[in-house]
Amino acid sequence: MIDIVSAENLPKADGIDSHAAASALKNFVIANDGAAARAGSKKKGVLLYVPAYEFDDGVCQELKRAGGALVFSFADVLRQKGFRRAIILSKMRLALAQCRRGGCAFAVATLAKNDGEIRNARELVAFAAVLGMNPQEKKIAEESAEKLVTR
Amino acid sequence: MKPTERFKKRYVAFVLTVEGVAPLAGEAKQIVHEHFLSFFGESGVSSLAFKLIKYDEKSGKGLVRCERSRADETIFCMACLSEWKGKRARMESTTTSGSIRRAE
Repeated sequence: MIDIVSAENLPKADGIDSHAAASALKNFVIANDGAAARAGSKKKGVLLYVPAYEFDDGVCQELKRAGGALVFSFADVLRQKGFRRAIILSKMRLALAQCRRGGCAFAVATLAKNDGEIRNARELVAFAAVLGMNPQEKKIAEESAEKLVTR
Repeated sequence: MKPTERFKKRYVAFVLTVEGVAPLAGEAKQIVHEHFLSFFGESGVSSLAFKLIKYDEKSGKGLVRCERSRADETIFCMACLSEWKGKRARMESTTTSGSIRRAE
């Protein structure tokens, strides 16, 4: 399993074959608003990360057309607490439902900035399950991360 | 109650550290119980069939019981522990099994 992280030289956790630094990936796009998400989704093979997890349905359709994937970050959950954590999880679930409707791929990663945010493969799979991914979708999430990172 | 009517169990093994050191048994019990209660709530913990089975303060290794269909939620809950009373904490799940002996 490949994990995408936000810093370099972080220790590898159990079940993680390799880390890919987001800054080193040419196809990793961070979209801070709707317009940026729409523009980023048109890039071929893009790994689109929208920290707010709010975007319109057109983004998913564009992602499907461009063969890209939406990135769900574990660190976003970890950095929040209590009610705010519940809100971000809810937004992620809605974003996943949008991806299903639009037919685009998705990926799960830690996007860790330090070694305290590193999580093992089992925990990433559990994160995917908690978001509501079925076994087939979990496989899609794993495969799309591997495919798009090694592009 | 028939064995088939009882809830199906899963045992999840974990390693608990606070600032890189395994906490004492009492503190570990408090961390695990409070974290699960804050994550699932009272109703959630009851339906989860949660129980801290054992904890070894020398190694920091422990075992929790949960309901089979909610093992992923339990692992995710453990992974969500990042700090405890201002200190860096980590509860890393290692194995999952249907029996205590295999999970250890």
